[in-house]
Amino acid sequence: MTAPGPGLAAARALAERHRVKWWEAAPWLAGIALFFLLPSYLAFGTQLVITILFALSLDLVMGYAGIVTLGHAAFFGAGAYTVGMLAAHAGWNEPLSGLVAAALVAGAIGLASGYVLLRTQGLTLLMLTLCTMALLEESANMGHEYTGSFDGMPGLQFQAILGLFPFDLLYYRSQYLYALVVLFVCFVLVRVLVYSPFGQSLTGIRENVLRMHAVGAPVRARLVIVYAVSAAIAGVAGALFTQANAYVNLATLGLDRAAGILIILILGGYGRLYGAFVGAIAYMVLEHVLAKAYPTTWQLGVGLLLIAVALYARNGILGIADALWRRLRAAVAR
Amino acid sequence: MAALLETRQLCKSFGALEVARDIDFRLERGARHALIGPNGAGKTTLVNLLTGVLPPSRGAVLLEGEDLTAAPQAKRVKRGIARTFQINQLFRGLTVLDNVYIAVAERLGAGGSMFRPAGRRADVIAEASGLLETLKLEGDAGRRIHELPYGRQRLVEIAIALGLKPRVLLLDEPAAGIPSAESHILLDAIAGLPKEIAVLIIEHDMDLVFRFAERITVMVSGAIFAEGPPAEIAANREVRAVYLGSAADV
Amino acid sequence: MDLISIALGGLAAGMVLFIVSVGLSVTMGLMGFVNLAHGGFAMLGGYVIVQAMKVWGLPFFAALAIGFVAIAALSVVLERLLYARLYRASELDQVLFTIGLVLVMIASITLVFGPETQTVVLPEWLRGQTDLGFIRYRTYSLAIIAAGVLLALGLWLGFERTRIGAKIRAAVDNRRMAESLGVDVGRLFTLTFALGGGLAALGAGLGAEILGLDPQYPLRYLIYFLIVVAVGGLGRVTGVFFAAALIGILDFVLKIQFPKGGTMFIYALTLVLLLWRPQGLFGRRAG
Repeated sequence: MTAPGPGLAAARALAERHRVKWWEAAPWLAGIALFFLLPSYLAFGTQLVITILFALSLDLVMGYAGIVTLGHAAFFGAGAYTVGMLAAHAGWNEPLSGLVAAALVAGAIGLASGYVLLRTQGLTLLMLTLCTMALLEESANMGHEYTGSFDGMPGLQFQAILGLFPFDLLYYRSQYLYALVVLFVCFVLVRVLVYSPFGQSLTGIRENVLRMHAVGAPVRARLVIVYAVSAAIAGVAGALFTQANAYVNLATLGLDRAAGILIILILGGYGRLYGAFVGAIAYMVLEHVLAKAYPTTWQLGVGLLLIAVALYARNGILGIADALWRRLRAAVAR
Repeated sequence: MAALLETRQLCKSFGALEVARDIDFRLERGARHALIGPNGAGKTTLVNLLTGVLPPSRGAVLLEGEDLTAAPQAKRVKRGIARTFQINQLFRGLTVLDNVYIAVAERLGAGGSMFRPAGRRADVIAEASGLLETLKLEGDAGRRIHELPYGRQRLVEIAIALGLKPRVLLLDEPAAGIPSAESHILLDAIAGLPKEIAVLIIEHDMDLVFRFAERITVMVSGAIFAEGPPAEIAANREVRAVYLGSAADV
Repeated sequence: MDLISIALGGLAAGMVLFIVSVGLSVTMGLMGFVNLAHGGFAMLGGYVIVQAMKVWGLPFFAALAIGFVAIAALSVVLERLLYARLYRASELDQVLFTIGLVLVMIASITLVFGPETQTVVLPEWLRGQTDLGFIRYRTYSLAIIAAGVLLALGLWLGFERTRIGAKIRAAVDNRRMAESLGVDVGRLFTLTFALGGGLAALGAGLGAEILGLDPQYPLRYLIYFLIVVAVGGLGRVTGVFFAAALIGILDFVLKIQFPKGGTMFIYALTLVLLLWRPQGLFGRRAG
């Protein structure tokens, strides 16, 4: 039997690209292992899982569709405030339906703002995403009766998850597993999207929008759809934040969070699905260790790291790993 | 009978600058038509007007009598107008196969399909692979565009356009930037295009134009200057004077 | 407060915004470089000015001059060493790089001077009130307005009447065309970047009374600087001047009328404006 030609090999590679690889089980096994092995770190683990989810949503718009946004925290905050306000003012404190409500609200804001914003590009788009977020932040700051302004809404009460697992603010056991399951569900959705023809067309838009128009793709519609989906997922992440921590405040909506998640995704490697995981873990573990003791040095380090990444390592940790792996394989083959 | 593709008094100006002036152009079914003219004559502008990249200031674009003047790019592509670009416009980070896959998927209406893996569309993969074979690109199918030499990239441009199963194919200087030693591959590819596709080629290489074209249109400063079969254009003194110059004396 | 004093207060804030942002507008217009670190240059300049007065006991104006020169020099160094490598990079890389740079600036300043707000001690004759005939108003605010107007006039003359100004305008409108005519856009950029950095330093020093000065300055006002530039139009000195005056006054009025939601109105207005005219209120449409 002869080896398949390169054309056939490429076709086969494309046909099998979406298959689940063995190592993809690793993050979930590690996630479960953390629950049993490091029970005192579950509060941290919960924040980590929420951050991964938020970074994943950003990866969809920025890594895949190539939309550079400085305002993605708008949707995180929208989700966070949705469940917060429903719980505080409407007595709606069932967590799962809260997630759905947050996804719907954030998704609707994403759809509406995406519809008007995504006709622009470049610097204008960057400005508009920033303005949208600032607008939401200001509304949250202003609507004191409903949002608690700067102090936010502390001490929120939520029902037990599925009526069985009460939130526990001391050890975060239920929160952690709950967030992990939600992350898994959202990850599966994102993964399916990314490997679909729709996901491929997003990559096409990122790589060359002119050509995408020339093959007859409805570019703007695609962008608006992915923006709304991503917003909904960011909203779920925000809702998890509020539910897990039993409070919500203005920090969920700010530039700090928007820039922070951008940094995390870039650090991990964007457009790679697992960049969100790697970036969030690397950043948050380092932050956890360093930031409390030396907050300013930590900030300095992050700044230097970003400069280095922008100048030398545009594909993040996973990009570097990828390049090393290829070089290693080439060396072995020789 | 109406021409396959036709423009009527098509005009385009940027401020005071007129880049297309009263262009009445006809492209017949199955045509092998060349568009020539000096740099800045408005040839690429005409392609942009035909494909909807630019809206005209005045005039109309018709495909089989249907008015497409206001139609967006996507609709024109669906009706069968495809193009290549003078400077490569490819998905540089993706493989050659992915580049063509995206075009074929859009044509088959699969581009918006969100929940089924791209790899499960065996029909799209088969068609894209077939196109690569036709253009002798199958050896590069798995390579990323930026790893390919420029000449091969030019072929991918054509493969993408063919993936749209066009009735009208607009080739904007397909041989531009290819070393002459490699240009025969491209010529073969163009010569081998299916007969039922009407081809309009913009080209500076007169050898290629006279070998390929059954009809030639000459544009000068935004307007059609002359049109006719190659022999007639070659014999036209005025055309020789403004454009062909020494090339026609050879 | 009566109308005139509100307008004057807003105008003074607007002039500070103008002095800080004008360089950003020109450099972004020239290179299309997304520079989110611009406020960082302003802050560093403010600190140089404060330190020059505190440590060396320099008078206010000498300190301003030192701040201008120091930051202009720093701008040249950073532009040549780092920015120049990213001109052709993607927008995302530029965003990342400049966020990184601003974090480094903030952290360095915090490490050296701590997180406290710095105060600028004004010379005697700039304190107190001045009688304008129809109104008595804070002398310093009036001085800032005068400085802003004079600077705008000077820059306008420089842009409209000098060869270099003409080159900059040509390069902003069509960079490739200017380059083919032999304009060295890279050098123009270095020059405007230095000037813009120096002016930002000046603005931070002059405006410390109004905007305050602490390590968080670059991020706190980032959106304001960007709004002024976006509304004024890229590479438009006069546009930025009017936009800054407009936003300064609007912000002042709104904050007095609606202490809580005033800023929201500005964001909303900017949003609508940019959707309507992506090139800004005073910018020229590209292409």
